[in-house]
Amino acid sequence: MAGSLVRPATPVRPHSAPKPRRPRGLRHRLVGTRRARIGLLNASPIVLYLLVLFVFPILGTLLLSLKSNDGALTLHWYAEALSGANLSVLITTLRISAETSLLSLAVGFVLANALSRLRPIWAGLVMLIVVVPHFISALVRTYGWIILLGDHGLANQSLTGLKVPGAPFRMLYNETGVVIGTTAVMLPYTVLLLYGVMRGVDRRLLAAAASMGAGRVRIFARIYLPLVAPGLASAGLLSFILCLGYYITPALMGGTKQTMVASLINDQVMKQDQWNGAAAQGVVLLLITFAGLLLLKTARSIGAGARKRSTS
Amino acid sequence: MPDLHIADPAPAMTTASQQTSPTGKALSIVGLHKTYGSAVAVDSASMEIAAGEFVTFLGPSGSGKTTTLMMVAGFVEPDSGTVTVGGRDVTRLAPQKRGFGFVFQQYLLFPHMTVGENLAFPLQLRGVPKAEIRTRVHEALEMAGMGGFAGRRPRELSGGQQQRVALCRALIYRPPVILMDEPLGALDKKLRDQLQVEIKAIQRELGLTVIYVTHDQEEALVLSDRIAVMRDGGIDQFDTPRELFERPRTPFVADFLGAANFLPGRVMKGDDDATLVRIDHGGLLTARPHSLSPGQQVQAAVQPGRLRVCAPEQGFCTGTVETVTYVGTLVRTGVRIAEDTPLLRLEVPAGRAPAPPPRVGLTADAEDINVFPAERDG
Repeated sequence: MAGSLVRPATPVRPHSAPKPRRPRGLRHRLVGTRRARIGLLNASPIVLYLLVLFVFPILGTLLLSLKSNDGALTLHWYAEALSGANLSVLITTLRISAETSLLSLAVGFVLANALSRLRPIWAGLVMLIVVVPHFISALVRTYGWIILLGDHGLANQSLTGLKVPGAPFRMLYNETGVVIGTTAVMLPYTVLLLYGVMRGVDRRLLAAAASMGAGRVRIFARIYLPLVAPGLASAGLLSFILCLGYYITPALMGGTKQTMVASLINDQVMKQDQWNGAAAQGVVLLLITFAGLLLLKTARSIGAGARKRSTS
Repeated sequence: MPDLHIADPAPAMTTASQQTSPTGKALSIVGLHKTYGSAVAVDSASMEIAAGEFVTFLGPSGSGKTTTLMMVAGFVEPDSGTVTVGGRDVTRLAPQKRGFGFVFQQYLLFPHMTVGENLAFPLQLRGVPKAEIRTRVHEALEMAGMGGFAGRRPRELSGGQQQRVALCRALIYRPPVILMDEPLGALDKKLRDQLQVEIKAIQRELGLTVIYVTHDQEEALVLSDRIAVMRDGGIDQFDTPRELFERPRTPFVADFLGAANFLPGRVMKGDDDATLVRIDHGGLLTARPHSLSPGQQVQAAVQPGRLRVCAPEQGFCTGTVETVTYVGTLVRTGVRIAEDTPLLRLEVPAGRAPAPPPRVGLTADAEDINVFPAERDG
């Protein structure tokens, strides 16, 4: 703007302004250009794959959940899924998932933070230790935990040996056991995600804050935490969502009070041959997952918006 | 148009003369020493910096200038030596306890904060009341010619704008000493020149004590009151730009700042008025007085701008003109005085350079020739 004030001699060419383009339709954008057509062709195998193996089963499940025994459309199964014992199972599932994601965030944060300060070669080794258990069958790992956490397991023997008041603790077939077990399963995801985010934080920013007089606590709270916050949110949500539908560990390490939706669905299909109810519960889980993703997205845009407003 | 909002340095310049007492404090470094393994990074560096002085550490990479700066800042712990600010020993203090300002080459603005929040951050740390923070942030941005940018994010700014904000952020809490580590290194030439003028103007106006690190001698000359020329971890010379230029104490300084020509020779006679040197590929030349004994092997150093062409019989040596290059207002001429020696470089104003005959004499005023003992090659 200032440039044009000091250069009045430059002739203003009216036709240099971009011509207002005729708005083109969605159809044109999708298939109108050669580029778009080639893109579609390239994408077709994966689109087909997803249609057959992903979209079709989900639609099938959806249909199943809406069909009454005589074939008419009904919301009966949803009403059943969201009432009585089924509702309390759903609430337990949400609670255990929340507890798991918080615990795995806390442990994952400490681990990833320590990892991100190591030299890359050591970080790689420790990361291997974090990730390798993930390659072992979840069943084997869960039995490992059962041996460790039992009333006479290694954990309780150590605690009683150390004369910790209250030991031995009951850590199996209750919520503590389930949360410990599922957290162990979710941890690699959280650590990997957080580690990536933390590696991306420019350490020199922390040095810059220190040079201005910020102590460790302020640097952590004002610089480091805000910079890794998006990663924390993603990691927390990921472990929450993964935990919602998780089956083996809660089934083996929990008691009857810790029945989760996935076990319930399994029971309905395998033991009661009740496909419609199981489908409805599956759809409910799916919707909760979508809601979580949506929540994360809106939280981010609200956060960004608030930051913008507070400064302008 | 990346930079519409360039601060006009003129008002700051005019107030420089009215400045009463500097905001900056005096800083002294005594015997700072740092080794990494067996490599000596900084070898017992010592200097006194006055309050309100602009000092530059100048040297090639690996000369220890940045390590010295980091030890002053507190990011690197010295093996021995002390750093004193305004009479207070800060050698063992953590960086955040020293209260210095630091400007980094990579700007290092906090990406999750706006420009205004970046500037407010150091003030918040110091418990400055909100209303005062607002006015000081506003003032600082106006000073940098960036009023109206408070709500922007760092990534929405150009490199030059980001470095202006980083500069403001280091100034805003009025630190006793401001340290700058090649702050203009990532910017293009034109912007660098502009910001040099601005930095100098602000430093003069506020009487800031600044330690600046660069490998660009032109930048050092423009900005500094005094320059410490560093090499291999040591300070070769710590002096005003003029002294460094006119009376370099080592061949390295003569070469690094003046791009001097070196002529090997032997001292014939030396007294308080002048040194007489017989150069290996020519005759006798008269140089500045130096305490050198007759017979000593020496290097005579002359800057390209101080070397003149004359008739072959009048000069201290003769040679053939091999290259002539026009560089704007200057003509660079290369003269070969002997087979296996490097070309001597001359710079002559373009207007008065007659086409030289292939065989010329070379001369220079005794004042402009420095002589160094020959054990080191420049």
